[in-house]
Amino acid sequence: MPRFFIRTFLCALVALTALALQAQQTEVVLSASSSAKLVLGMTPPKASGIEDSLVATEFTAVLKRDLDETGVFAVLQERLPADGAPVKAWKEAGAQWLLNVRLTKGAAGDLQLEASALDTGAEKAVFTKPYKADRMVPLRRMAHALADDLVARLTGERGVASSRVVFVRQTAPGVKELFQIDRDGANLVQLTRHGSLTLSPTVAADGRLAYVTYKGGAPEIWGQRRRDGAHEKLYPATGSGAMVSSPAWSPDGRRLAFVQGDRRGNSDIMVLDLDTGRARRLTDGNGINTEPSWNPNGTQIAFTSDREGGPQVFLMQDDGSNLRRLTGEGLYNASPAWSPNGAMIAYVSRFEGKFDLFIYKLGEGKAYQITTGVSTSESPAWSPDERRLVFTSNRFGSMQIFTTDLSGRQVVRMTELAGCQSPKWTRAR
Amino acid sequence: MRYGTYLVPAAIVLTLGSLACKPPKTAEEIKAETQAAFNEGYQAFKDGKARDTNPYVNAKDAKENQHKVTGWYEGWDKAKADKDAADKAAAEKAAADEAARKAAAEKAAAEEAARKAAEAEKAAAFQKAAEAALKTIHFDFDKSDIKENDRALLQGIADFMKAYPAAKVEIEGHCDERGTNEYNLALGNRRAAAALAYLKTLGVDEARFTTISYGKEKPLCTEAKEACWSQNRRGEFKLK
Repeated sequence: MPRFFIRTFLCALVALTALALQAQQTEVVLSASSSAKLVLGMTPPKASGIEDSLVATEFTAVLKRDLDETGVFAVLQERLPADGAPVKAWKEAGAQWLLNVRLTKGAAGDLQLEASALDTGAEKAVFTKPYKADRMVPLRRMAHALADDLVARLTGERGVASSRVVFVRQTAPGVKELFQIDRDGANLVQLTRHGSLTLSPTVAADGRLAYVTYKGGAPEIWGQRRRDGAHEKLYPATGSGAMVSSPAWSPDGRRLAFVQGDRRGNSDIMVLDLDTGRARRLTDGNGINTEPSWNPNGTQIAFTSDREGGPQVFLMQDDGSNLRRLTGEGLYNASPAWSPNGAMIAYVSRFEGKFDLFIYKLGEGKAYQITTGVSTSESPAWSPDERRLVFTSNRFGSMQIFTTDLSGRQVVRMTELAGCQSPKWTRAR
Repeated sequence: MRYGTYLVPAAIVLTLGSLACKPPKTAEEIKAETQAAFNEGYQAFKDGKARDTNPYVNAKDAKENQHKVTGWYEGWDKAKADKDAADKAAAEKAAADEAARKAAAEKAAAEEAARKAAEAEKAAAFQKAAEAALKTIHFDFDKSDIKENDRALLQGIADFMKAYPAAKVEIEGHCDERGTNEYNLALGNRRAAAALAYLKTLGVDEARFTTISYGKEKPLCTEAKEACWSQNRRGEFKLK
């Protein structure tokens, strides 16, 4: 009986958020449909044991939005053939694939999703997958899983619909805490309750968090030593009171790059070995060095330094050797983020008092501007599939979280929360 | 039936009780007994058998401790006088002690109050001096150089630190909203360090300062204009 109530309440809740999301989607998706995308037709899902309205808001709408944001699918929206039309009708309407979905809620409260996709040209199945849950999981989670698998079928790499974004948000004046949100803006969860300034989250490949908190007065690095473990102080071991900031997990999750300031005003990149507890200084106490970002195999670190005047992005080996400057143009380039596959580095560049996102393609040795406009765009972080960037922008007033594709044309607002900063995109949470 | 619960046991108790008790003596019986006792004593007196000694005092006591017979002992007067004198002396001494203690306590309280007042005054003076001296300094965009106008403020802070050798101060470095969160944390650290270095040149021991950077995380003003940004690019000094 209470279970029934909880379920009803949850359904109502998710339905409401889904409605809000739909409204938000139509508002900010600036997508231009590209011919390079595969056109997907979707027959209305056949549901048994679940209300149609719930399926429409919690599954169909979520799946359509997920697929639209993959950048590789375009969901057929217009001139849809009638119910029960033959595959040929879908082909004539422009669909290259036709997706059939059947949702069944069993007597024991279990949930089954059978999805199959048909190539309308060859009229043969290109994708078939059954999903089972032994309880009534949120439908939107199943929609995310299906979207990710369809992307995997088409591109060979799973999509990111099931991924999440960890970020910092101000909860009271002088108090900032870590939050987490689903990639589609649903499921806001507060991760820390330090009641103090809590900044600079970094998420390891296995989902462990590290961040800086001022709860003890001076800043300290806190985080998880084990997956799903308690949050504990990682550095400094004994109180030193120095400035520490900007932790970044190495790709193997065993080292933590971070920044430590000295009393002469310099700040240096350090690397903390979690196994031994030893921290090693990589830069040479020459001005400001901050914002370390590892390359995917953990051999190099990109960082911001003002050793040559204004802030610029530099690269070095993970032992501090082979230091070289990356960015050329602009007086203020900062916030480097190495892409998951290692070929690109996203950063921000200051121009006319605001920042824009840029991508430096290491193979070409050239930088490309991603965002434009009068508003500022800051703190880029890569999506796990390297197709999008998450960033903060004040384009709707306060600092909120957005994502953009790499062309900068499809910008989507992720949150409607004021005062967000430092987003990090992860599959592991 | 309901009253039987109480009445039956009561009846039994009354019956047994009345049987167990002797019947009271009548006035006649008492008179007869009294007369018999008198007669017995009278007869003994007539027979010369009457007692002339106190049966409760033995012969030795009767001779040596007359007071046991007479019921008084002269030594008691002295003992009582001695005891009274001692009690009085003790009471007087206690009163004197109490008075002395009170006086001492009052004196101590007065001293404590005076000391506290002096301390409070000193603390107030310290707070006032701190408030007067620990003024916020400001910086140019992406700069940490001490501005010409702020040198007098830093001199004031140095003078305050010299006047109050126990004072310890935390230097906070702050930035405006332009620039990345992390770079601004480093810049705030550099600004705090610049203030510290300048104070050191004014002859204050740098060990009396701690530095902390809040980057752009604690702005005083949140509008996106220079008037606001220039307020936020600051160094604050807080007693620690």
